[in-house]
Amino acid sequence: MTAPSTNTAKPATGIPALLKTAFINALIALVLFSLMIGIRTEAGSSGQLTYWTRFGDLASIVAAVFGGSIVIELLRQWIGPTGAEKLVPPAVQSGISFIGRYLAPALLIFTLLVPVIFYNQRYILDLAILVLTYVMLGWGLNVVVGLAGLLDLGYVAFYAVGAYSYGLLATNFGWSFWICLPLAGILAAFWGVLLGFPVLRLRGDYLAIVTLAFGEIIRLVIINWQDLTGGPNGVSGIPRPTFFGIPLDNSDDGLAARLGIEYSPTHRIVFLFYLILALALLTNWATIRLRRLPIGRAWEALREDEVACRALGINTTTTKLTAFATGAMFGGFAGAFFATRQGFISPESFTFQESALVLAIVVLGGMGSQLGVALSALAMIGGFELFRGLEGYRMLVFGMAMVLIMIWRPRGLIGHRAPTVYLTKAKAISSDLVKEGHG
Amino acid sequence: MTAAPSPLLAIRGLRAAYGKIEALKGVDVEINAGEIVALIGANGAGKSTLMMTIFGKPRARAGQILYEGRDITDVPTHEIAHLRIAQSPEGRRVFPRMSVAENLQMGADATGCTEAEREGTLQRVFTLFPRLKERYAQRGGTLSGGEQQMLAIGRALMSRPRLLLLDEPSLGLAPLIARQIFDAIRTLNRQDGLTVLIVEQNANHALKLAHRGYVMVNGLITLAGTGAELLQRPEIRAAYLEGGRHG
Repeated sequence: MTAPSTNTAKPATGIPALLKTAFINALIALVLFSLMIGIRTEAGSSGQLTYWTRFGDLASIVAAVFGGSIVIELLRQWIGPTGAEKLVPPAVQSGISFIGRYLAPALLIFTLLVPVIFYNQRYILDLAILVLTYVMLGWGLNVVVGLAGLLDLGYVAFYAVGAYSYGLLATNFGWSFWICLPLAGILAAFWGVLLGFPVLRLRGDYLAIVTLAFGEIIRLVIINWQDLTGGPNGVSGIPRPTFFGIPLDNSDDGLAARLGIEYSPTHRIVFLFYLILALALLTNWATIRLRRLPIGRAWEALREDEVACRALGINTTTTKLTAFATGAMFGGFAGAFFATRQGFISPESFTFQESALVLAIVVLGGMGSQLGVALSALAMIGGFELFRGLEGYRMLVFGMAMVLIMIWRPRGLIGHRAPTVYLTKAKAISSDLVKEGHG
Repeated sequence: MTAAPSPLLAIRGLRAAYGKIEALKGVDVEINAGEIVALIGANGAGKSTLMMTIFGKPRARAGQILYEGRDITDVPTHEIAHLRIAQSPEGRRVFPRMSVAENLQMGADATGCTEAEREGTLQRVFTLFPRLKERYAQRGGTLSGGEQQMLAIGRALMSRPRLLLLDEPSLGLAPLIARQIFDAIRTLNRQDGLTVLIVEQNANHALKLAHRGYVMVNGLITLAGTGAELLQRPEIRAAYLEGGRHG
């Protein structure tokens, strides 16, 4: 009844068929263009018909059609239905899968080496830190949007909560970054749960509207609660991070003095770089682990079908709340990092535009794909810098790029979702089972 | 604990409504352990609502649902699944982007069984539906309708239920595939002692399969009897068999 793949309607494949198609196309082109291009006619000076031949042009056109139809046919088979015979050379195919397999480790190694390679280029280091911050935000939002399927337009709220948690705790009580970091995460997670409760029954567009409002509420509260947050003036003088208690400055007990090396402000930048890299990798590691646990599977199932989830005994309330809390916690970590890097925070850093940017990173990267989110953060943030010279046009360029990606890769750059459950002992008992079931 | 004659699931005077529209108007149904019970009726009779109300969505407005002698009328939906009642919902509702293996794992996740139990149940499901084993790495959404139905039943079985609720398992399936599904249900009942409540529009098939049947009209049970009895009733033949869909 349901054969694995129906090959009936499939056109013949193979190199001869390919050449045949191309040859026929070239022949048609020859017939068409022999009169249109091959012979040029014009009225002469005294009204008589003059003509001359342009066989060279004709030959190049026909050759272009021949080559072009081979390319089109190859492309069609390459992105065509799975199971269809592939004519792309195996070398190219294995090359692509090789890239796919080693892209992530290669990127990671490169990232680890960035401070070494670009040690003297402060601009690139700053940009790399910025990109990594967005990678981390993207990975955090990916838990909520990509895995649990809860469209969150107010993610920047948790970023703000994390940043202000650290900023206020550090300036008011003088607590160190390493104490405040987990606190910022916990506080952001708490706000995540707080947001989660009223929106439990909402999905899709309705959820998006409420989360959007939530993001704005947090920002407006920060602006208006002047006694605590300093309102639009923000919080300044936020302490820089220390290397586990050792400050990274020019003082006598700074890290450079203790190690006996010459002080350089780049030390702190490099430290910040590795700090955000570690935080981002922590986010990534936690997400990958969670996906393999029942809670992560429940998130994904919730994205697919809430009714079925309930019928399977999944508590959708706690599942949604943990998704919100987990995503918010990583947003809070990133916020604390942002505060310590900038040394100054104000409500202007936490506008809706930030939420939209992080969401765009997640959607363009491929919801649920860790590598895709990282690549798209690199492209978006790096691209913004790259096209800075274009000023007014760069938003246009990015808008176009987004539209094109959504046309060609509607599931994002990396839309592939790797399954997390595998059969154990897959082949141990198959032989006696195959006999049954052809009913 | 419970005396032998008391039914596995007893529904007494059950009423449920969507807003002001009453879908169940006092339904009494009993299902004994080891039985297959069919619930047949026309569109909108309230069959699916009864299924959903057993799972607490929508909540019963009045009446009682007793499972193994315990009142589960107000138990939260997700906890009902922990009582070894499983449901294969209407329209199958497999998780389309998750693989077959993950879909099945989802069925086992909430019930907290041991690894050995899970593995044993998985092999049982593969014995019943070898097609699922062939397709275990494929995404649920890419399966055919029949395979998705197998997956939905398999997923429900992964929670090792005593009572399986099936909502329209033959919906939209080719007759041959529908028969395979019904055969599997019979096998589960005979070999594993699984109790089954099956809601069907395909009255002929369902009543042949079931030990007993109930006919539902406008939110009320109008007829009850053994499957063979109901198949002989002229009003059943007129309403659901002749001129209707044939199995």
